[in-house]
Amino acid sequence: MSHRTKPLTSRSGPGAVPGVKIRPATEGDASSAADLIVRTKRLNNEFDPMFAVVEGARARAERYVVASLDADDRLLLVASEGPKVVGVLRAEMRERMFYEPSPEGFITDFYILPEHRRRALGHDMLERATRDLKKMGARVIVAEVPTQNEIGYKFYTKRGFRSLVQHFGKQP
Amino acid sequence: MPKSRTKDDPSVKALAYSRFYGGKVGISPKVPVRSLQDFSIWYTPGVAAVSRAIAADPDLSFEYTGRWNTIAVISDGTRVLGLGDIGPEGALPVMEGKALIYNYLGGVNAYPLPIRAKDEDHLISVVRALEPSLGGVNLEDIESPICFEVLDTLTREMEIPVWHDDQQGTAGVVLAGLFNALELTGRRLRGTKIVLFGAGAANVAAARLLVKAGADPKDLVVLDSKGILQPERDDIDSLSLRNKWKYDLALSTNGERRSGGLKEALRDADVLVAAAGVGPNLVKKEEVREMSKDSIVFLLANPVPEMLPEDALAAGAAVVATGRSDYPNQVNNSLLFPAIFRGALDVRARRITDTMVISAAKELASFAKRKGISRRRILPSMVDWQVYPSVAATVGEAAVREGEARKKSSKDELLKTATEVIEHSRKTMDTLRKSGVIIEPPD
Repeated sequence: MSHRTKPLTSRSGPGAVPGVKIRPATEGDASSAADLIVRTKRLNNEFDPMFAVVEGARARAERYVVASLDADDRLLLVASEGPKVVGVLRAEMRERMFYEPSPEGFITDFYILPEHRRRALGHDMLERATRDLKKMGARVIVAEVPTQNEIGYKFYTKRGFRSLVQHFGKQP
Repeated sequence: MPKSRTKDDPSVKALAYSRFYGGKVGISPKVPVRSLQDFSIWYTPGVAAVSRAIAADPDLSFEYTGRWNTIAVISDGTRVLGLGDIGPEGALPVMEGKALIYNYLGGVNAYPLPIRAKDEDHLISVVRALEPSLGGVNLEDIESPICFEVLDTLTREMEIPVWHDDQQGTAGVVLAGLFNALELTGRRLRGTKIVLFGAGAANVAAARLLVKAGADPKDLVVLDSKGILQPERDDIDSLSLRNKWKYDLALSTNGERRSGGLKEALRDADVLVAAAGVGPNLVKKEEVREMSKDSIVFLLANPVPEMLPEDALAAGAAVVATGRSDYPNQVNNSLLFPAIFRGALDVRARRITDTMVISAAKELASFAKRKGISRRRILPSMVDWQVYPSVAATVGEAAVREGEARKKSSKDELLKTATEVIEHSRKTMDTLRKSGVIIEPPD
């Protein structure tokens, strides 16, 4: 198939999406945020069978989300429309042991529900995450996407990111 | 419903007759050969003058050759009837049958042309390469969702009309039938709640046409084998990558955000269009009972509809249509495609737009109304041969209006031309039969 889906957002400029609020996640968001995290993992599996999602991923995701809520070195943002969580972004602070600048804000998970895409919400969430991670000390922002995920690749490169590391994998 | 295989069974006859005739269509001359000297006109050296003229102005190929009235019926054999991927050779008898219908009902010269394509890009490239010989292309029996990309790409890239009958043909006839069924049950398209069961070629195109004809996308609910399409379905990201047509429907339809299966979809729905697969138990009586009063139920699977029509009526449906000729209200693509191409070729259209298909559907519905409609007769019958020139003229007129026609004609002129060309085809058949050139089949 030659069809390529459009990037998560089609707008490059910043600006708030009407009716949608980007904010730090609270305990009440944990269940919805975990659902969205599992969706990112399933989406990864669409790109590569090495990302087959484990049984019980939902429960793991909830623990993962809860552990991110009050940790100083982790960031968990949600986009909400009224009571409904429509997007999630999780990041954590890491140290680059041999490189400088060393403090790295590493985006591990990022997902927006399909009907809220193409409205620049992804752009806005990334901007907010970048700002918050800088406040947490990050001097480099890094995001992880599967190699085959061209949508993710375009999303980040369009916003000034470049590919830094290629992970190679095989099942022995 | 299945019949025993007697010698009158169409399957038995088809096998015997196919061997007897060795094919359903052939190429026969249009010009007289008075003596062998005539070949110096029809062929070399005289033909070189015609070639030089066309080389200088390729558009003249529509006037100096049969291109103006020639299409190819092209398939890769990946989804033939209900038989699945049986390959291009297996598709050949079907494409021959289609070519025969094109010729007899639409006066169109159609070449049956199944091709061996290794993938979608190869299929697109072969069809594109055929353009100089053709006035149009009928795509047929190509698997979904590849068929959508193939049609979209070829429509965009070719300067002759490309038609995929499993999408536009079925959707167009559904729309025509629906116009009259809505009128008979006192409804208007806007505000009618329509459930499309099955999200393959026919229903994806039907959804698009319905919206362009005036239905509110929020009033449509589409189901595939996994249930109702909606934006938060678990497989939505997979759809976004693998089937953008279904993905777009998931985002744009179903304003009430229903989820679940057919029962949930049909609650208070006015119309069911099932193109979901061979029945008869895919739709149940209790599910139709969930629909609003005087519901409309189209069951398109062949040979066995998604539910027995009598069961749909017993469950409260006011109008029931199927793909079968032995029940009332046959939703038959053959009512449309010969006329669509007759009209498109007569104005040398570049494309067949959705607006042209909707115009054709409206004319098909109007023709039926002029003859008299009832709950058991919402569409014309194929024996009403005047429907073809009538729809063809409407299609040609719509192409002119849409700016897709390279040859402008009035509707009266188009009707006259279409009538003459179609009558010529019918007369040719009569003459060939009467003269014994086409002999009757064996007993």
